[in-house]
Amino acid sequence: MGSCDPVLLACLATVLLPLLAFALIMIFTWRRPNLSLAISLTASTIPVIIAWTLFFKLDVSKPIIYNFDWLVSETVKVPFGFLLDPTSMVMLVIVATISWLVQIYSIGYMSGDPGFGRFYADLSLFALAMLTLVISSGLLQLYIAWELVGLASYLLIGFWYEKFSASEAGKKAFVVTRFGDIGFFMGLVFLTLFYGSLDIASVNSAAVAKSMPPWLITTSALLIFCGIMGKSAQFPIHVWLPDAMEGPTPVSALLHSATMVAAGVFLLTRIFPFFAASATAMTVVLCISTITLILSSTVGMVATDIKQVWAYSTVSQLGFMAMGLAASGLAAGTLFPGYYHLTTHAAFKALLFLCSGVFIHHFGTNDFFTMATNGGRKLYIPMVTITIASLALAGIFPFSGFFSKEAILGALAQLDNKMWLILGLFGAFLTAYYSFRVIFVMLFPKPGAYGKVPGHVEEEAHSHGGHGHDEGHGVPWVMSFPLLVLAFFTCILGFCQEYLQKFLLGEAHPHHIEYTLLFSAVGCALGGIALAWYDWGRKDAKCVGFISKFPALQNFFIQKWYMDHFWRWFLNTFIYGTFSRIFTYNDRRVVDGGVDAVAFSTIGSGRLLSFLQTAFVQLNMLFMVLVLAGVGLYLLMGR
Amino acid sequence: MTEHAATFPVLSCMLLAPLTGLVILLLLKENQKFLIRAVSLIAAGVSLGLALYTFANYDKALGGLQFVEKYEMVKTFGITYFVGVEGLNAPMLLLTGIVIFTGVLTMWELEVRTKEFFIWILALVTGVFGVFMSYDLFMFFLFYEIAVVPMYILILVWGSTRKEYAAMKLTLYLMAGSGLIIPGVLLLYASSGLGTFNMVALHGAHFSPWVQKVAFVLLFFGFGVLAAVWPFHTWSPVGHVAAPTAVSMLHAGVLMKLGSFAILRVAMFLCPEGFQYWAHLMALLATIGIVYGVFVGLAQTDLKYVIGYSSVSHMGIVCLGLSTGTIDGINGSVFQMFAHGIMTALFFSSVGYIYDRTHTRDIHELGGFSKIMPIASAFFITAALCGAGVPGMASFWAELLVFIATVKVYPVNGLLAIAALVVGALFALRVVQSTFFNTPNPKFTHFEDVSPFLGLPRMILIATLVFFGFFPQTMVGMIKSAVVPFLQGM
Repeated sequence: MGSCDPVLLACLATVLLPLLAFALIMIFTWRRPNLSLAISLTASTIPVIIAWTLFFKLDVSKPIIYNFDWLVSETVKVPFGFLLDPTSMVMLVIVATISWLVQIYSIGYMSGDPGFGRFYADLSLFALAMLTLVISSGLLQLYIAWELVGLASYLLIGFWYEKFSASEAGKKAFVVTRFGDIGFFMGLVFLTLFYGSLDIASVNSAAVAKSMPPWLITTSALLIFCGIMGKSAQFPIHVWLPDAMEGPTPVSALLHSATMVAAGVFLLTRIFPFFAASATAMTVVLCISTITLILSSTVGMVATDIKQVWAYSTVSQLGFMAMGLAASGLAAGTLFPGYYHLTTHAAFKALLFLCSGVFIHHFGTNDFFTMATNGGRKLYIPMVTITIASLALAGIFPFSGFFSKEAILGALAQLDNKMWLILGLFGAFLTAYYSFRVIFVMLFPKPGAYGKVPGHVEEEAHSHGGHGHDEGHGVPWVMSFPLLVLAFFTCILGFCQEYLQKFLLGEAHPHHIEYTLLFSAVGCALGGIALAWYDWGRKDAKCVGFISKFPALQNFFIQKWYMDHFWRWFLNTFIYGTFSRIFTYNDRRVVDGGVDAVAFSTIGSGRLLSFLQTAFVQLNMLFMVLVLAGVGLYLLMGR
Repeated sequence: MTEHAATFPVLSCMLLAPLTGLVILLLLKENQKFLIRAVSLIAAGVSLGLALYTFANYDKALGGLQFVEKYEMVKTFGITYFVGVEGLNAPMLLLTGIVIFTGVLTMWELEVRTKEFFIWILALVTGVFGVFMSYDLFMFFLFYEIAVVPMYILILVWGSTRKEYAAMKLTLYLMAGSGLIIPGVLLLYASSGLGTFNMVALHGAHFSPWVQKVAFVLLFFGFGVLAAVWPFHTWSPVGHVAAPTAVSMLHAGVLMKLGSFAILRVAMFLCPEGFQYWAHLMALLATIGIVYGVFVGLAQTDLKYVIGYSSVSHMGIVCLGLSTGTIDGINGSVFQMFAHGIMTALFFSSVGYIYDRTHTRDIHELGGFSKIMPIASAFFITAALCGAGVPGMASFWAELLVFIATVKVYPVNGLLAIAALVVGALFALRVVQSTFFNTPNPKFTHFEDVSPFLGLPRMILIATLVFFGFFPQTMVGMIKSAVVPFLQGM
């Protein structure tokens, strides 16, 4: 049906091409890098073209929906379908574009790697799952794609599986996100049983409030939020994301900053009306995301691994987006502020990671102090673009982050309790500080001055990376091209605010500027940068960070608020130490031991009886005669 | 249940194909190894082909029993040879066909007593096919016993680790189960007063409630032993560990399903009121099995023990689905029998390949196998991900259906079972990590990867999992066509 509908064909192509690429590479061409690359790149280029064409040409002010039966049991009906509306269109463009740029970038970054083909297969699997997630019409289909995205993430984090830390990080990511997904799944089960439909359009309608009591809506919303916490790395199950940096850097840029981890926030926007129906749920979201923001910003201040800084920054920005959405939900606002920040963040955070990737590739280290002392600033394109991205992250005019942060702070300002706004501003201050800590160290390196930085080890970086690259100057164009594209978006997205708002909401709200808020936000950002300058940038900076004045606090941050310790303890004490041990003991000793005891006692009684078999024929004969006599007697008496 | 006679004796051919192969093998000499393997493969292939034929040609709209054949055997006792296909057993026949075909291919390199091995395997499979297609209670039980006995010899002669102990334990357990089944069957036969073993006729007998309650509990525990219902599961991991590869595949893939299938086909079908009475107990034992299996599996270091305990957990899901007595639950349950059968077969065939070369299954000693044999590792990892419930594979749908149905009927059990999924994931990935990732053990680096020929059976299994993962309706539609009338009859 509808085979001539070009939009449907486009949707199918977007989803099926990466699937085809994955299957082809995995089954046939995984030993041939160039062929695999060609297949994967073709399968990611076409979706980009489709996404942008649909974005500009298609009128989605009325959502376009396609649904087919996938599985029909009784209460469980799972359709397979596509939902094209403004929310999904914007995300479709983001995902397709960044996915494509990262595939190009990886040509340079991953060249010569023995697993090159497998890498592109996994990227295709990711593209398939993520694109399906974005345009799926039902929540269960979304959940399926969500799990597949988790699978792709698992495979890509553990890509260099010979390294124990990488395989461990992959496992951790999968299990921790699975922990949240269980909640998500239970939420979907509740919705299926008590509401009867998982269709996104229907879940977002007012019918839900009529057929489900409020406590059930709150419960379901909170359960679904568990999944969001897992995928978008919110406190307390954010611990997997920093470890996920064990994966190749292009993967960190694509999955663990721009798109996959944003899937959680995307889900929040996807069923925003449903969430907004429960004020309790929204308050919980607000609390958790605020804790996340503060926690990860403080940890970002003391990290020495450049990817760790950006990882914690990602966690904090995701928290910031969720804060914006929760505040909008509580104050009857729109999903725009949170979603807008998701959009701008996707561009500048992917840029930050890709730039860092160039440095890592070049210097063979993740420690940005070492990069700086080895002349990192001489790589002009990445140095300029990383600065642009950091300016955006810190929220400096005219870069995109400025506008989106402004929108979120505006939403927070609408809440009666001003504490949230203050915490949000504090987060912005810390963000500016930690991002410019990196930039100033890179720009104005002070060799020999970093000895006192905790976590930093002075080492000679083996220049030109561990990948056998030998270009004296600059960066291969396949790696610098994506940087320039993303830098372009970082610069212009801020000025697309009204266009995007119109696209997403159908109407542009006149942007009236609140000067107090504006000045306090800019003040916080500039304050953070100034402090970073004082600590790391100026000529006779102490290069230890202001936080070293509070050693206990500094240690607390370096230990990442002891969250990893907590979970390790939890796992060892309860899962392995208690349940697994007791059950195993029970299985060996009680259940199985009981059975063996029965068997042995049977054998034992057999032994006892066997004493009667003495091989003395006379005795046996005597016994027989006695028995026969007894039987005869019994028969006679019976008469 | 409407019956549609077969125009051509498909089912008898399916049953006779392995039997004919067996007879031909008896005439061959031990050193004609190629011929022995080829005959077994052809016999298995014919069965698989016919199973596929029945699966594809079963008319779902028409419903009822199709391809029926009925011949009277012993008139005095009312024993008939009565075979047929419906939505419930069509997937099981297909499963058996796939597992035996791939099992024979997997054991292609077997050199020790090749002839006897394949004879016993074919005997076992004949029994399994017989159970799945029989609608006569006596024949059902007869085939059931035929399927169980060869197991003893297969483990005892071709097995490894503590094989005598395992073979003895397994046989005694299953015999004890049969000891419960016989009184149950005879109770039903006697109290019906119909003088027939025909299950369709017995279904209409309307037993009195207490007969149903007694018979159900006898049959449930009797068959439950084979389905590894907690706490009668301990024979199964031990048996898996000791059995040779193809036998593990058949054992976990097909034999365990005989138990759960029989609970559905005999116990629930004939004693609906008994089922209602005992359903809570079923759900409880199933839930314990699910949670218990993953936790015990978490502490194991032998690859086969790990898979054995994952089977206990997954079979718990099958029983949980049955215990709901709803369309969703039973759909999911039968789907899970199929999916788990294929998945475990894949598991054991992958482990078997590695064990045959390294002679160890200790996950701490293995390591880095993705480097040494990437293809063999990919097979195992696929199975592990399927076991962890990753979508895109058949078992995802099965578990989805069972869980939703269970939360509806038994909310606490359902939520506990869902929560066990986290541990299930941890448990699967832990094994994958320590066996296939990290640095390779230098002792094993010289081993070669799976050859394309030996890769073929594993590819068939993966293709099946993925096919039903992407097109679940082919399976669910089939099962549902039988489940709806089944539940109306209850």
